[in-house]
Amino acid sequence: MGNMKIKAKEKDGVVGVKAMFTSLMADKEEAEKKKIASEFITQIVAKNNGNVVFEVTTSGFMAENPLFKFSFKGKAGDKLEVTTTDNSGKTETETEVVK
Amino acid sequence: MFKLDLYKLITTSVALVLSSTLLYGGSDTSTLPGKYVSKMGAVDGGVTYPRKNGIYTAYRYNEQSTKGVNFGRLPTANELKAWDVDIMPDGTGLPDGEGSVSEGDELYEKQCSSCHGEFGAGGKGYPTLTGGNQEKLPNGVIKTLTNQRIEPGMEAPKRTIGTYWPKASTLIWYIRDAMPYAHPKSLSNNEIYAITAYLLAQDAIVIDGVEMDDEYVLNKEKLMKIKMPNENGFYPNIDGPNGVENVRKFFSDRAKNIGSGTRCMKDCKDLSTKGNEPTVMKIDNEITDVVPPYTTVRDLPPEIESKLESKAEKMYNDACKLCHGSDKMGAPVVGDIEAWNKVTQKGFEKVVHNAIDGMGGMPPKGGFENFTNSEVQMIVEFMINSSKKKQ
Ligand code: HEC
Ligand code: HEC
Repeated sequence: MGNMKIKAKEKDGVVGVKAMFTSLMADKEEAEKKKIASEFITQIVAKNNGNVVFEVTTSGFMAENPLFKFSFKGKAGDKLEVTTTDNSGKTETETEVVK
Repeated sequence: MFKLDLYKLITTSVALVLSSTLLYGGSDTSTLPGKYVSKMGAVDGGVTYPRKNGIYTAYRYNEQSTKGVNFGRLPTANELKAWDVDIMPDGTGLPDGEGSVSEGDELYEKQCSSCHGEFGAGGKGYPTLTGGNQEKLPNGVIKTLTNQRIEPGMEAPKRTIGTYWPKASTLIWYIRDAMPYAHPKSLSNNEIYAITAYLLAQDAIVIDGVEMDDEYVLNKEKLMKIKMPNENGFYPNIDGPNGVENVRKFFSDRAKNIGSGTRCMKDCKDLSTKGNEPTVMKIDNEITDVVPPYTTVRDLPPEIESKLESKAEKMYNDACKLCHGSDKMGAPVVGDIEAWNKVTQKGFEKVVHNAIDGMGGMPPKGGFENFTNSEVQMIVEFMINSSKKKQ
């Protein structure tokens, strides 16, 4: 199990995506207070069949395990690929077939 | 929301009242993992009452005679059958059925996510079902369960299916009997298995070495193989043929297993301080910034006794409360002692006159022209009386 849960469903030519990312989203200040290592996602990119459909820059201001919703034009069977980058530069990618 | 305020105490030698609950049996192997470690003279619970033959109970033992008390009759076989609907970890009572993670996903989205959040992650004011770090301490206790909010900014324990529930069978039982909240018992057995599969998959539960992907189908046999991450987080062990005996043994030594405190409400000494005189315990980080402020005064709302006043009260409720019940309209609020002190300084006659003729935002007779002058006077009396300091 990776660090994300993705759900992508098409309806009338629009794909609705819900995605949750497992991360403490603790920036340096918060991490110091909680005595844990600083850890947060800095960037999330979603590609549908290779085309970027969603891209955000994030930081520790977000709550733990952030949840995103976005939608784009597409169809069932499309291949959605989501990549996260964290503050240490580590990336993770997961793919989900649109339902 | 409460704002947490770090309250630095001048006395630095005070013991943190809660510290005893944070110790885990690391060095002492005889203690159970995560167990409450009682200390001498604990004031934070663990009060015991002696009963008989060295046995203690958590409650004062009722010594009243039970003579003449009727204990009812034995239940009939049918009554027993109707009650005997529990689902046990050994599979007793588990319904037959099966459902896949992806079927559960769809059902969950429609019937549960509005309250329990997407993916079971909570955030909507109802219990969070999934998530929470399942990492364990060396003694086997799930780390996030040991969280304590003893200082501002610290996290509370995270209790989800993944971190807290010891048995998966309970999930089937609970969902069958209690969910969805508004119309329980509406799900079929297959649907219950599907939703359970979905929730377990969100918590990355591994069944017999197999990860639960979208196509994973859960059924009775597979469910019984599940080992939940917090399976051993509870004591005493109540399962199996020795369950009852285990419980009896555990509670027979309350002093050791639960703690034997002396209830203390004032200037409580920390008897576990070594060497020096016992110090008086204090709360290190007290939350004081609350509305309404903390108070130890116990008083009831003003009492209205006489018939006359209750008629006045009724008229007040119907005609005047809309504006005088809260400070939104700029009217002196009934019950606000200070505001009414100011009003009555003008003299009772004048105040009644103002209520009858109106003043500022106050319409004549509150807008109820059919009220007689003496009725208005009666209501004003009621309002004034309800806004006096209690003797
Ligand atoms: C209308 C809101 C609502 C809906 C819809 C709902 N629940 Fe609940 N659920 C609650 C509430 C409230 C509680 C807490 C009940 C209590 O503690 O008495 C709860 C508790 C639970 C719990 C126990 C949580 C715990 O840790 O104690 C589970 C499991 C659960 N619900 C599953 C479900 C499932 C599965 C569905 C969909 C079939 C569902 N719920 C639909 C409101 C809802
Ligand atoms: C539409 C809102 C409204 C309603 C309804 C209303 N009041 Fe008032 N009342 C006010 C406001 C506003 C004031 C404060 C006026 C000021 O101080 O200028 C006030 C003030 C008063 C005072 C104090 C007068 C003074 O001398 O300071 C009395 C007594 C009073 N109301 C009685 C009543 C009674 C009795 C009723 C019901 C029959 C009533 N009110 C209904 C808005 C209302």
